Amino acid sequence: MGKPNDLVQGTLDLLILKTISIEPMHGWAIAKRIQQVSRDVLQVQQGSLYPALHRLEQQGWIKAHWAETETGRRAKFYSLTREGRRQFDRELANWGRLSGAIDLVLEMA
Amino acid sequence: MRSIKKLTMRLRSLMFRSQVDAELDDELQFHLEQQVQEHLQKGAANQEAYRMALRDLGLPERIKEECREMRRVNYLENLAQDLRYGFRIIIKKPGIAAVAMVTLALGVGANTAIFSLVNGILFRPLPYPEPDRLVRLTEYYPKGAYVFLRDHSQTMRVTAGAGGDFNLLRPGLSPVRLTGTLVSATFFELLGVHPEVGRTFREGEDTPGNDRVVVLSHSLWQSQFGGAPDIVGRRITIEDTSREVIGVMPPDFNFASGRSSLWMPLSLDPRASSDYWGPEMPVFGRLRPEATLAQARQELTQLMPGVISAFPYHMPAAWNKDVTVIPLQEDLVGDMRAKLLILLGAVGLVLLIACANVASLLLARSVGRRKELAIRGALGAGRSRIGRQLLTESVLLGLGGGALGLLLARLGLATLKAFLPADTPRIGDAVIDGRVLLFTAGLAIATGMLFGLAPAINCWRVDLLSSLGTGSRRMQPRSAGRLYNALVAGEIGLAVVLVVGAGLLVKSLWLLARTDPGFNSNRLVTLQITPNGSFGKDRAACLSFYEELIRRVRTLPAVESAAAVNTMPFSGEFPVVPASIQDHTGDTEGPTPLLWSGAITPLYTSLMGIPILEGRGFNDDDRADTAPVVLVTASTARAFWPGEDAVGKHVKAVWEQQWRTIIGVVADVKQYGLAQNRPGWVDGEIYMPYTQAVTGHREFPSSMTLVIRTSSDRLNLSGEVRSLVADLNAEVPVSDARWMKEVISASITAPNSIAWLFGTFATMALVLGATGVYGLMSYRVAERTHEVGVRIALGASRWEVLLLMVRHAAVLAVIGIAAGCTTAIGLTRLLSGLLYGVKPIDPATFGVVSLTLLGVALAAAFIPARRATKVDPNEALRFE
Repeated sequence: MGKPNDLVQGTLDLLILKTISIEPMHGWAIAKRIQQVSRDVLQVQQGSLYPALHRLEQQGWIKAHWAETETGRRAKFYSLTREGRRQFDRELANWGRLSGAIDLVLEMA
Repeated sequence: MRSIKKLTMRLRSLMFRSQVDAELDDELQFHLEQQVQEHLQKGAANQEAYRMALRDLGLPERIKEECREMRRVNYLENLAQDLRYGFRIIIKKPGIAAVAMVTLALGVGANTAIFSLVNGILFRPLPYPEPDRLVRLTEYYPKGAYVFLRDHSQTMRVTAGAGGDFNLLRPGLSPVRLTGTLVSATFFELLGVHPEVGRTFREGEDTPGNDRVVVLSHSLWQSQFGGAPDIVGRRITIEDTSREVIGVMPPDFNFASGRSSLWMPLSLDPRASSDYWGPEMPVFGRLRPEATLAQARQELTQLMPGVISAFPYHMPAAWNKDVTVIPLQEDLVGDMRAKLLILLGAVGLVLLIACANVASLLLARSVGRRKELAIRGALGAGRSRIGRQLLTESVLLGLGGGALGLLLARLGLATLKAFLPADTPRIGDAVIDGRVLLFTAGLAIATGMLFGLAPAINCWRVDLLSSLGTGSRRMQPRSAGRLYNALVAGEIGLAVVLVVGAGLLVKSLWLLARTDPGFNSNRLVTLQITPNGSFGKDRAACLSFYEELIRRVRTLPAVESAAAVNTMPFSGEFPVVPASIQDHTGDTEGPTPLLWSGAITPLYTSLMGIPILEGRGFNDDDRADTAPVVLVTASTARAFWPGEDAVGKHVKAVWEQQWRTIIGVVADVKQYGLAQNRPGWVDGEIYMPYTQAVTGHREFPSSMTLVIRTSSDRLNLSGEVRSLVADLNAEVPVSDARWMKEVISASITAPNSIAWLFGTFATMALVLGATGVYGLMSYRVAERTHEVGVRIALGASRWEVLLLMVRHAAVLAVIGIAAGCTTAIGLTRLLSGLLYGVKPIDPATFGVVSLTLLGVALAAAFIPARRATKVDPNEALRFE
């Protein structure tokens, strides 16, 4: 049950930030959402998800509040802070540069 | 703004810990429920869905712990917890903790003691204002050269101070011999020191006519003048001169030597040419503001030609050509620096061995604690958390050992100070001060980390789950065993390095101590007869004084023979004359040969047992008015007349008109010390009959050493000699009655103390290394009890079992010894300055040390190994 090797930490942060940038979500939903959107390619383990969420909250990029789900159970919802939105933009730009660079290498070399 | 938010969040996490934890529980519980829900929707049965969800989730405690870690609340809390836990562990197993702490205390204590010396002698600034501006001009200079430098240097203000011995006349009592310093008028002011009472010298007080003043040391003021409050203004007679006491220095002032008990002005008189350009003395300086050491060096080199041409006679251009300027501190410390650093290195190795020892101890224990650690892991402690826990424990042990070590260091430092030669520079400055405390604390923590690393690393490697599963002591990870082996081999290797070093030093000390001094020191006693310097002006009076004294001394009961000499071997003094040597085609621009010149009465050579190899010795017919004659030593004869007969050749002091004829060659004597006949700057030795003697300062030597061969070595002659001298001249002090045997053994105090210290450290290393091997073997024997039982049950003999066990230790020892010898070959070079008659890579020493270490390792392994042979197979197979 170690940390997932298929998701680099920074990438997981980026995915989380992206996922909750649309609307506040609880942990379970974040994991499911990433799994669905990636067509089951990316499966986030709880063992990495929750520590990541707590780290991001500690950084001040996301904030948490307790709210009811559609089934009426209380759950912890995470949403982006203003700081977090800026961080998301930064990381997105980084990611774009990185993946673009990798694409270039793969095409040309 | 952001950091405030973070802080409040962290505080919330810390203060409302239970609430935050409850929220975390809730969050994960929610996740679990969702997971169950999902499995149910996929059609799993209730029970099945819950089980599957739990499996998906993994270890919830581990996740929680990691979340807490992310919030960084754990640091402080964990530390407190680790400390509490560490104390509990230590108290639970006080034996191991005590062994660890005592081992560390030895290492840390020895290091602290040596560091106190290093700190006091090398690091603490000199007790003068702006000590880093004080410098020493290397080499020695006559008064005239000093004055030239004083008047011409733009980068430094310079001062000079020449040590000497002087007679202080005491009304109604016999005169007393004191060590004093002749200094330039600027001396005290340049150093920046102030008197305790009165004043120090004023400018111009170092010129003839103004120089009848003296400054006393605190101890002289107390001992000779009872601390009289009206001391300033009193007149005292030193040698033949009445001087006014103008001040007393405070007790801690000890420049340029701790033995100096009075300071008098140099008499700078260019008209007294042989004095002004004669005796050479050290010159010190203070850099002027803005000037740098480099500038001072450059300037001094540029000034030297001027100094040389200022001499009233031709000086070779090579005179003092390598002169430079060094910080005063460096000058005072001298060769202690290298010795101290070597000792510090040695004691550092001891600490490393102690660390390895404690590390292996803890490693053995941590393997025994694997089950406990595995449970902690299963309950959610991350590996880094467990590692930190182990490190905290070892740092606690380190601090405990450090505190204990500090106590040892206090004792050790007192012992060290008593043990080192009293003339060790700045030894009084070695105390346990703030810097030493800081050093010790740092050392304790660092060692704690260092030896804690082994068990901590090992715990990271251990698969916690599997060790929980088996819980057996026998199934132990290979890595721990390897680490343990490496530690023990390393310990042996380090011990080899230290013991080889100690072996080399002890061997050279042994060689030094049994070196033949070239004379028979049995029942030989010496006394200093020191009339005022002016006594020598009347050569006839001087001669008859000594002639009569020796005649009377020889009539004393128990005296076999008596003679006088200007300087005894090992006296530390080495009077030389610049010599001309007939037919010796030396380099005319090269330095004039300097010859040690002994002035002896006729019986000296036979009394000392110095054989005359060729020609004849002196006799009573060699008088002041007969043809001048000399004896040369065999090595001098070889150096100047190789393959020729030296007898019949001629030498003289450079200024003399008449040649002195060599009438005999005598065997060499260890005149300077056991390690060398003469210092490197001296070219040979000659003896003159006292009747015809002359010193390097063109004077007749008046102070002589009386040498007496007695018939018993338990006899105090000084009383009788004193009264004989007093009968002849009441103003001549007799001092320093010493047995020559004691003088010789005192001459090797310094190498002796270094060798002893090194030997002590090597012994510590040996004991620690042996304990390490013993610990390893005990551990392995206990661990393999089961296996041994099986072997014995299957018919292995006790002997085979013993061999099996000891073989392991032997292999480790051989590896350690090989590594140690290789390291030692690289390191013993550093000792070469301290060795005598032994090469740094001495095969005998290396061999003996290797065998010793092997023997010690095997012996240490044998005791636990024998326990293995006593194993009862029935018991062993039931073990666990």
